[in-house]
Amino acid sequence: MTSQWIETLLEPVAVLGRQTLAIVPNVLAMSLLLLAGVGTAWFAGHAVERFLRVIGLDRVSDRLGLTSTFLRGGIKSAPSHLIGRTIHWLILLFASIASLEALHIDSISRLTHATVAYIPHLVIATLIGITGYLISNFVAQGVLIAAVNAGLPPARLIASAARWTIQLLSVAMALEQLGIAEHIVAVGFGITWGGIVFAAALAFGLGGKDLARSFLERRLAAPLHGSSHDDVHHH
Amino acid sequence: MLNATITPLAAQTECTVEQIGTADLLVGVPSFNNADTIGHVVRAVRAGLAKYFPDRRAVLVNADGGSSDGTPSIVADTLVDFEVLFIGDRQSPLHRIVTPYHGIPGKGSAFRTIFEIAKRLNVQACAVVDSDLRSITPEWIELLLRPIVQEGFDYVAPFYQRHKYDGTITNSIAYPLTRALYGYQVRQPIGGDFGFSGDLARHYLNRHVWESDVARFGIDIWMTTEALTSGARVCQSFLGAKIHNPKDPAADLSDMLAQVTGALFSLMETHPAAWIPVRASEPVPLFGFQYETGVEPIHVNVDRMLEVFQQGLQDLQPIWSRMLSEESMAQLNALQGVSTTAFRMPDTLWVQVIYDTALSYHAGVLPKDHLLKALTPLYLGRTASFVLQTQGLTTREAEHHIESLCRTFESRKEYLVTRWP
Repeated sequence: MTSQWIETLLEPVAVLGRQTLAIVPNVLAMSLLLLAGVGTAWFAGHAVERFLRVIGLDRVSDRLGLTSTFLRGGIKSAPSHLIGRTIHWLILLFASIASLEALHIDSISRLTHATVAYIPHLVIATLIGITGYLISNFVAQGVLIAAVNAGLPPARLIASAARWTIQLLSVAMALEQLGIAEHIVAVGFGITWGGIVFAAALAFGLGGKDLARSFLERRLAAPLHGSSHDDVHHH
Repeated sequence: MLNATITPLAAQTECTVEQIGTADLLVGVPSFNNADTIGHVVRAVRAGLAKYFPDRRAVLVNADGGSSDGTPSIVADTLVDFEVLFIGDRQSPLHRIVTPYHGIPGKGSAFRTIFEIAKRLNVQACAVVDSDLRSITPEWIELLLRPIVQEGFDYVAPFYQRHKYDGTITNSIAYPLTRALYGYQVRQPIGGDFGFSGDLARHYLNRHVWESDVARFGIDIWMTTEALTSGARVCQSFLGAKIHNPKDPAADLSDMLAQVTGALFSLMETHPAAWIPVRASEPVPLFGFQYETGVEPIHVNVDRMLEVFQQGLQDLQPIWSRMLSEESMAQLNALQGVSTTAFRMPDTLWVQVIYDTALSYHAGVLPKDHLLKALTPLYLGRTASFVLQTQGLTTREAEHHIESLCRTFESRKEYLVTRWP
């Protein structure tokens, strides 16, 4: 009876012990992978940062107005540092995923596979966002200068409109890449162009209503006048 | 593989050049839709060559950019009645080459074709004249070629009689900056009508700039600067008034300014050894009989210029802050809201603005096109200031102000040199 009790009580402990022993190598592998990942991330992050600094990325960023834009957004780090840190965290992310895989637990594996499959979309979306941001700044600056040189009073408004149009478009494209609101680009385009055409038509109609009236009067009134003349003639 | 030193010519042109063989003189006329003026230019060139160089083998080259108004046929068919010009002893016929040019569309590519033909014909002296000139006379041809043929000069820059408000980019930037940088007082460095030796034409051809902006625009300042920096003997010829087909100056001001300043700043990067040690300037010999001419009056809208300047001061502050020094910005900000009558942009400020912009161009603090075009409101402010300062003065009196600006450019050159990396 006593031995049965002891057996009943110790069995779960024994099972737990066996399971723990079975998982220990996996945990060790996970720890090793994580440790290697941390080391690699640290080294690669610093190496990339130093390399980018040497080739003058910060200078180019200064020239493109990126540094001052970052400053305005409260980011005081140089672009080389930012990219270095990004590389660091990306490697750390991959190392974490790989280390979790090493545990050979089904639910975690499914989660990591889904995460890995999503990463390319995330990278492309980030690239689209950054490219759109750079292009929008470049275009807005050019538009502002051209508008001031042309003596257009709402120069800043025009430049802002150009900047926001491009940024909205790039955000929409990035969201589409992420699988969020996939039809937003098509709908956005439809709404934007529809809006522009409608606004232009409205502006043209309101601005040119007098011109249109005089044109119509000339076109329509002349035959009327002519017909009355004819009438007079035939009378 | 294509030899980089040979410029391709049209097949017909190749044949014509081969038939001609060699020549002593060449006059080039680049053109694009200039049917209403080119006939006069061709007549002046023909008469000039016949009258002043009757015993020389001469060639007239028209490099056309694809005109659709019959410009090339006018060049080919224009005749001159020599009798009414008292020219009776023409000994050599004038060969005419009417050719399209290859490469990037622009005056520079047209000049490249002219240089190539000059090289193949082994000419002694060349001249190039604009095809929209209304005031060109046969004497221009003598004045552009004689210093080379007879006096041994390599480059002849034009010297025009102009209204005090004509050529303001030349007066406020091109002339003073070229003079301060390279030490030669070439009054019209971007005049458009030049004479040069066959050797200098070959030198131009060997420079690998024909795929750059020089091929499009900026060829005038490039030719002058290359002549100054290559050690060529440079002189000027007085040509009288320059009257050409009217252009809308406001329509392409920003582009024109960007082209000239871009070429100037780019050449500073190419030839640092030629300008950094220079600290003073010397006069350049001037040929021709100088006389006063009536010049066309020019209406200037100062209020409009100041509006653009003031708007620039408000809207372009972040861009100007990156391309100009703090000192320049402080002085510019002090001009905010100043009334038209009281508005003045001092020479020292303008010089510092130009030097700051040159330094920023070299450092690459902004995309080049943005940097150069952001200069337009500043230039308009400076031009308005010059107009207000010289109202009521004669052209000769206004020239003293330009001379004073040139001296400021020279005296403050140290500012540029010490900051040039």
